[in-house]
Amino acid sequence: MCPGKLVNFCTVSVAGFCTAVYLAPLHATRTDRGGLPSEPDRDQAGGVRPVGHEWMAPSLLYTISILGAVALYMLLRPRNVSWKIIGTLLGFAAFGWFLAEMPAVLAPDEEGRPGFFYLVFSLISIGCAVRMITHSKPVYSALYFVLIVLSSAAMFLLLAAEFMAFALVIIYAGAILITYMFVLMLAQQSPTADDPTGQPEYDRMAREPAAAAIVGFILLAMLGNMATDGVESVGEPRVTADRAALEAVMDLNLMPLDLEEIVAERYPDAVIDWDDNREAVVIMDDRPMVRLIPEGATSPEFFELSLDDAPGNVQRVGLALVAVFPVSLELAGIILLLAMFGAVVLARRQIELGEDELRGMAGLRKIADYDSSEEDAGEGGGDRA
Amino acid sequence: MTIETTHMMMLANTAAGPGWAGFILWFPLISLALCGLWSILRIKSKLPAWTTVGCLALAFLTTVALYVSYSEPVVIHLFDWFNLHWGSGAKAGSFVANFSLYVDSLTLLWMLFVTGLGTLIALYASEYMEPDVGKGYTRFFAGVSVFLFAMSCLVMGDNLVLLYLGWEGVGFASYWLIGYYYTKPSAVAAAKKAFIMNRIGDLGLALAIWFIWLNFGTVEFADLFAVIASGAYHTEAGGWSISAIPFLLMLGAFGKSAQIPLYVWLPDAMEGPTPVSALIHAATMVTAGVYLLCRMFPVMQLHELALPTVAWIGTSTAILSATIALAQYDIKRIMAYSTVSQLGFMFAGVGVMTTAGAAYHVFTHAFFKAVLFLTCGAIMHGFAGQLDLRKLSGIMRLRGWKVVSVTMLIGCLCLAGFPLTSGYFSKDMILAQAFTSGHSAVGWLLLFTAGLTAYYTFRVWFRVCIGPVHFEPGDEDHGDDHGHDDHGHGDHGHGDGKFHPHAPKWAVNFVLIAITVGAILAAIPYFMPSGEEGVKGGWVASMTLDSSARDGMYGVYAIEEKGKLFGADPYNAMYFVSAAFGLVGILIAWWLHLANRKAADALRAKLLANPLTRWLPTAMENKWYVDEIYHVFVRAPLWVIGHAFALIDRLFVDGLLVNGTGYLPRAVGRMFQPLQNGVLQSYAVLMAGGFALVVVLIVLVMPWLQPILADWMAGTGGAG
Amino acid sequence: MMTADSLHLTMATLEPFSSLELGHFILTSAILFAIGIIGFLTRRNMIVMFLCTELMFQAAAIAMIAFGRFHMDLSGQVFVIFILTVAAAESALALALVVLLFRRKETLNAEAWTELRE
Repeated sequence: MCPGKLVNFCTVSVAGFCTAVYLAPLHATRTDRGGLPSEPDRDQAGGVRPVGHEWMAPSLLYTISILGAVALYMLLRPRNVSWKIIGTLLGFAAFGWFLAEMPAVLAPDEEGRPGFFYLVFSLISIGCAVRMITHSKPVYSALYFVLIVLSSAAMFLLLAAEFMAFALVIIYAGAILITYMFVLMLAQQSPTADDPTGQPEYDRMAREPAAAAIVGFILLAMLGNMATDGVESVGEPRVTADRAALEAVMDLNLMPLDLEEIVAERYPDAVIDWDDNREAVVIMDDRPMVRLIPEGATSPEFFELSLDDAPGNVQRVGLALVAVFPVSLELAGIILLLAMFGAVVLARRQIELGEDELRGMAGLRKIADYDSSEEDAGEGGGDRA
Repeated sequence: MTIETTHMMMLANTAAGPGWAGFILWFPLISLALCGLWSILRIKSKLPAWTTVGCLALAFLTTVALYVSYSEPVVIHLFDWFNLHWGSGAKAGSFVANFSLYVDSLTLLWMLFVTGLGTLIALYASEYMEPDVGKGYTRFFAGVSVFLFAMSCLVMGDNLVLLYLGWEGVGFASYWLIGYYYTKPSAVAAAKKAFIMNRIGDLGLALAIWFIWLNFGTVEFADLFAVIASGAYHTEAGGWSISAIPFLLMLGAFGKSAQIPLYVWLPDAMEGPTPVSALIHAATMVTAGVYLLCRMFPVMQLHELALPTVAWIGTSTAILSATIALAQYDIKRIMAYSTVSQLGFMFAGVGVMTTAGAAYHVFTHAFFKAVLFLTCGAIMHGFAGQLDLRKLSGIMRLRGWKVVSVTMLIGCLCLAGFPLTSGYFSKDMILAQAFTSGHSAVGWLLLFTAGLTAYYTFRVWFRVCIGPVHFEPGDEDHGDDHGHDDHGHGDHGHGDGKFHPHAPKWAVNFVLIAITVGAILAAIPYFMPSGEEGVKGGWVASMTLDSSARDGMYGVYAIEEKGKLFGADPYNAMYFVSAAFGLVGILIAWWLHLANRKAADALRAKLLANPLTRWLPTAMENKWYVDEIYHVFVRAPLWVIGHAFALIDRLFVDGLLVNGTGYLPRAVGRMFQPLQNGVLQSYAVLMAGGFALVVVLIVLVMPWLQPILADWMAGTGGAG
Repeated sequence: MMTADSLHLTMATLEPFSSLELGHFILTSAILFAIGIIGFLTRRNMIVMFLCTELMFQAAAIAMIAFGRFHMDLSGQVFVIFILTVAAAESALALALVVLLFRRKETLNAEAWTELRE
């Protein structure tokens, strides 16, 4: 692999990711909505959203899947360059057709439009995935996987999962993929006479691409079918966005220092009135309120809080981990620890110890000593001869 | 043909006999058990022989005691065997075949010579089988014991099933003893031949028993004869099967007694040890057929053509085998054909209705043929298996062979029907009866056969016993095996100077003399009173009169119908006519084989030279090509059919059904074998494909299937 | 301008998330999963095969995050953390195994190992 190419690759990737990270929240954030949502807005957001879109017919989905399968097959086992080009074009065509048939993609003002960034990152991730499984050099495959990770991290951002996006980049791109790279280097075969490129046959030739493509795209067609059918039947979310925003403010009960900070900023002279349940934030009339004892007063009063006072994503995920899933967190730690042990035990190089070394480690006399003593006794001398 | 009812009444009222008579059967069984014990103990002495001889002698003594105490036919019940009853009223049926003995005078007559000769021949064998001591000696005497037990069952059984047990038992013992030298391929082949030929006859007997039970409802002799005498059997139900019974019985008898068409096994049976030939294949077992016909004589009269058929088959067999015997060189084989011929005489006797004559001929023949076989055996034993009469001459002049030669002479005289010998009287009864009953063609043919018999008998004796001394040893030069010193033949300097024939010792000589005396004395019963006016045949006739064979006594009941021979009573005329035929035969033999031996060869050469007569000696020497004819017409088609079936079995049953069934799962397995290639990813492909199929089932098939299933469930639920 | 304020994203600032948008993300996830399966089945290099399993993990993670977003529930995100954990553990162990196998046969070809056949 040429170092220059690698540097270019990495630069472009990182630059793209940073752009995405910068732009995605802007896109995802409802900038026109400051403060509390108005009544009609709430209704619109919280009510049963009428599904006014016709999802594509299953037959169409299957057709596109077949097209995609053919494209992938051509890319997996290319006869020549034109196959590659045709396969790529077919793949794009399939994906494009797929998107075109998705409702509301081409209609700019249609509600529920996935948005430009979704298209970009989805295209990047799918394209990179195809390239990953078709590239004959494992290192490139791994790098394409880095791109997939980055673009899916961007999609996480679109989905308002900032912590997960960065965690993904850190853990996957930063840790796991680096391990892959190291192993690739460890397990690299040196170029041989009949294989001067150092690219073994098993990397260049996909095995049974047709069967795999058929199986994969049958699965895809069915999953797509289920997804479209299922999404139609999902209906409304379990918790509306407004209610979730309200409940997010309640999380301040679990974060007293943050709450005190907020209160100190808004109501500098008031003291938080924790009740027996160590709760001060309550929801009254769909508004978040905090119970405070104003200066000089003896009885608590309720003061309003903003929805923006709610803890951010990172804080809430941390809260969920330690407050809601503490045992799972511990288990995850144990799993990681054991995996580390396992990796150490498995990958350590086996050293063949001789009989004498083993005896020495076990604290026994070496065989050589026995031999010399037995020769004196004259026992078993014939066996050695 | 009327059936005398007085005898039948007598049979119906059979009294219970003495239980100790069962020891006639048990002694051979004890001998068998002891032989088995000696075999387990690896006894390497003559103990088995003495055991058998002792047991058989005891059986003989028991028989004599039974004869002495005999007054009327009795049934001796030993134990229940088959005793089945079912139904009631009109539908009642039963099948009773107990292990019981039926003792009448015919039984006693047979048992006397069976056990007597059996004892003597076992004694003879104790010396004859000496070379096999420690090897097959015990096996041989065990076989003899089995034979005696089976033969006693056959003769003494009170029902046809017990008779059949004995019938099969003697067949088995015969197979056992013919195949005694089981390392000799020819002996094995002969044993198989005898066994298979007997199976054909046994099938006839088995079918006859089945038909008898179907038609008469019983297989016990006493009841059976009573039913036949009363005529109280339904003929309309199974007319043809009643008519078939005598012919099926006949088939059984022909198989066991070596008659046309089932005679070819007997000459080959001479592969067995000579005592076996003498006992089983000359004196006793082969007469079982004659016994069967005598015993079942009332049944034989169920069809009017049955007895003439027996007469003609017997006559044909007699003359055919006599002509074969004319041209044979193997003396034992000559005796075998002679046996077949004499059995033909006996059957002819039964056929022309002189059961007394047939029984008397059985009696005398048992003695003189035993003598002849035993002398042949002695010669064979002494001359290392040499049986070719061209290679033996004048052995009478050798020391120690006088007894053999003289006893052989007496046996030959009896066989040839020399006047005043036992064979002379017994044969005359049959010949005379043939003319008396109007079968004069049978009579003349049998007379001619008697002449042939005289000729070939003395051909053997003149060639072997007298004339210039000359001999060659046979191919079984086993003289060295058991030493020369104990035989005292130091001065036998004849022959090639190296081979020394060893003369028989005391046991053989004693037995020869004893049986020869018996053969001579067998003429005496002819002059004893028969117990009934106008019945010739003396003691033997009296023995047959007091049995179910009584009906086969033409002379008793139809004296006024007697034919004439040369204007005289055939019984009287036959003394001279048969003597003349016999003497002529002996004279020709004397001329060709003693006085002028070259004339015999010249005659043969002359016959062979003439194209018109060449076939005669050739065919006779080749036994009329009967074996070859059987081979072409029976064995070859069977061989072809058998191989066709074997091919079908191999290709269709084995190939298609058995291997095909086994091949199918293997083929299916091989079809799927490539799936199990051990490559992780192919398993993964299958797993993912299976998962995809399940998803397809859920997404596509179930929505379509579910309403149908729901409808169906609702339908069944509504119906329920 | 990337400031702490602009990154302080709360629930209140979120746009509505329709089931239609959810469907798009789910379909993306499905496509990635299918490609991951195909890669796992076709690539013979053991390391790339494991990369493909990671791709499938990614697809699953996207679907979970999308559903969590739709339902306004943090469990989806928490679950992805566990997916990350398992992926990390799996890659550590699997790569150790790959190294071990490579030492045995000096090849990364998964088809070189056919002992399952026996």
